Amino acid sequence: MTEPLLTIRDLRTVFHTDEGLVRAVDGVSFDVGRGETVCLVGESGSGKTVTGESITRLIRTPPGDIAGGEIVFDGRDLTTLSDDELRELRGDRIAHVFQNPQGALNPVYTVGWQIVEAIQLHQDVTRATARERGIDLLDRVGIPEATRRFDDYPHEFSGGMKQRVSLAMALATNPDLLIADEPTTALDVTIQNQILRLLSELQAEFDMSILLITHDLGVVAEVADRVVVMYAGKVMERGGVFDVFERPSHPYTRALLDCLPGRGTGGARSIGGKLPPPTDPPDGCRFHPRCEHAVDACRAGEQPPAYPVDGDDDHVVSCVHYEPGGDPSVVRGEEAAPTDGGRPVGGDTEEDDR
Amino acid sequence: MAGGTDTTDTFESVDWEETGSRLSTLSRRDRGALVAGLAIVAAFLYDYLLLPASRPTITVPVEWNVTQLDWLFVTTLLALLFYVAVPLYDNRRLTAYYWREFKKNRMAVLSLAYLLVVFCIGVVGPILLEKPTLALDQAYQPPAYLSVDSTVPVNCLGDVVDGRCQGTMAHPLGTTGDGKDILVLVVYGMQVSMKVGLISTLLVVTIGTAVGTVAAYGSGLVDELLMRYVDIQLVFPAFFLYLLLTYLFGGSLFMFIVIFGLTGWGSIARLVRSEALQRAEEEYITAARSAGAGTLYVIRRHLVPNVSNSVITAATLLIPGFILFEASLSFLSLGDPTVPSWGQVIANGRSDLSTAWWVSTFPGVFLFTTILAFNFMGDALRDALDPRQET
Repeated sequence: MTEPLLTIRDLRTVFHTDEGLVRAVDGVSFDVGRGETVCLVGESGSGKTVTGESITRLIRTPPGDIAGGEIVFDGRDLTTLSDDELRELRGDRIAHVFQNPQGALNPVYTVGWQIVEAIQLHQDVTRATARERGIDLLDRVGIPEATRRFDDYPHEFSGGMKQRVSLAMALATNPDLLIADEPTTALDVTIQNQILRLLSELQAEFDMSILLITHDLGVVAEVADRVVVMYAGKVMERGGVFDVFERPSHPYTRALLDCLPGRGTGGARSIGGKLPPPTDPPDGCRFHPRCEHAVDACRAGEQPPAYPVDGDDDHVVSCVHYEPGGDPSVVRGEEAAPTDGGRPVGGDTEEDDR
Repeated sequence: MAGGTDTTDTFESVDWEETGSRLSTLSRRDRGALVAGLAIVAAFLYDYLLLPASRPTITVPVEWNVTQLDWLFVTTLLALLFYVAVPLYDNRRLTAYYWREFKKNRMAVLSLAYLLVVFCIGVVGPILLEKPTLALDQAYQPPAYLSVDSTVPVNCLGDVVDGRCQGTMAHPLGTTGDGKDILVLVVYGMQVSMKVGLISTLLVVTIGTAVGTVAAYGSGLVDELLMRYVDIQLVFPAFFLYLLLTYLFGGSLFMFIVIFGLTGWGSIARLVRSEALQRAEEEYITAARSAGAGTLYVIRRHLVPNVSNSVITAATLLIPGFILFEASLSFLSLGDPTVPSWGQVIANGRSDLSTAWWVSTFPGVFLFTTILAFNFMGDALRDALDPRQET
């Protein structure tokens, strides 16, 4: 396998707050290969967005701080680059699309102005060329009558159209890596599908890698090549999309999948309990307070290291039951006793903590 | 302006070579403004260093010895042209929308028309009209179509009917006790008021916006330092500094504008900061940074335009404040004695109120209506630009 485009090793991003040190991202590692779509999943507050924004150091410093780790993009460690060098990369080779299309466009400028801006920040082209290019892009992302709408203001577009415009802005410089932070969350399901299909098409056309941040496993199943499951700043499980969906190995991944309606026997289930306080995470595995399979080994020490699942180095899980000599069937109840259904039941409460 | 075109070429070629693609971050308008600014500086240096002080700067088409204050005023007008008129013209659709909103307030439309008239007459009038001089033989002439007891004027220019002196069209608003024509004084006063209002406000708004946005976006230590300095400046008694300098050097309008312009921006900076703090958290700021925009670029092109609505609203309400303040200082003879401001004329006429009421009344009416008009316009602008504050 060729060298991945983006390699993140042991990334630690912290925030200095009045309540204490928040370890938003605490030792996260994963790769994004060329032309690949990697999904970062987890519930709100698990550190997905901070991971995405740490890559090009978009987090505000202070209070944020990248406390450790390596982010190697195309052979260069981004954590060692100066602000100016990073700025050259941002938007040029690494582009972002954000969750809220209402907010991602500046209300005082026309969308055309903003696309031209995105182009001219990195390329030495005349306004006319940039404009032509911008209209092309708008057309490509599916804005009807692109020439006419080029000079419209953001408030004259619907949410889905705005997200298409954001996408056009991100693609303006033909980036190698697109970091899409919940790009479809604010949109309704039909539009969501259109945008996802568009993303896949554009990925093939522009030959770029996508790091898609989402909490929606339906989206993951549709577009991902590989999946990284995060919980409370740690990676719980990581692997190819088929491996993770076919053989979910971490109790948290299994619980997440059980949250999907129509999977398993009954309807959707929620995970009992809630995320640990970010300033004071529990010892041992971060998930143990909500895990029905927790044993004493889970409650002490550090988050368990990433163990391969079934000897597959590309599918790893951070759970003590998978350590060499351990017994994964504790977690994968249904394989041992399929009659049981094996669905992990949450903690004591059934409360929905969203 | 032959030098102007030269600077254009040099400026552009230098910029291209040195910063390459960064040039695109300076818009055409910014470049235009920069060129015009450089031209003004060049003209000022020429006038200041090369021409003897007594020689008028321009002799064609009119003779006009440009003073320090005039240079500032011209700069202000250019700034208004580039950063108010040009954007309004560039975004015609948005302008049309604002105009529709603004039009709903009839008093404001009337005020705007009135202020435009005052502005135009104030800018052009003093260049064309001779400065009123002492003419004791023409003292206390009544306004046209009105009359006064013939004992009041020294020498009635009109007809005397039934022992009453009739006003003439030679002095439509009458004359003062010095024999100066009040209409001419009012026109000169318009220019003084426009200079005071516009230059001081421009200084205040520029510095306040810069400090406020940088503090909000810089956060942390930058924010702390800037805002604590604002706190100190807000308790600094600029008025006493002005009194002291007036005592030492004599009153001057230039000094008034510079002192109050350079010390009065604290509250605007606070206003801008609170607004910018909110804006800085918006996703389009992150989006701009993710597109590779630098700090200054984000502040200038994304933060400032988004706070400009509240700044413009605040500015229109600042202008009448400055005008009124200058008038009160002039009324107390703390103003510039060489400048015929409305406050000064009102003060001159106050001892004659019983016999020659028109001396104080006409400048007073103009002062009153001008300030009222600015307030009406500010209210309507706030409704049009900043609908959130309406409820």
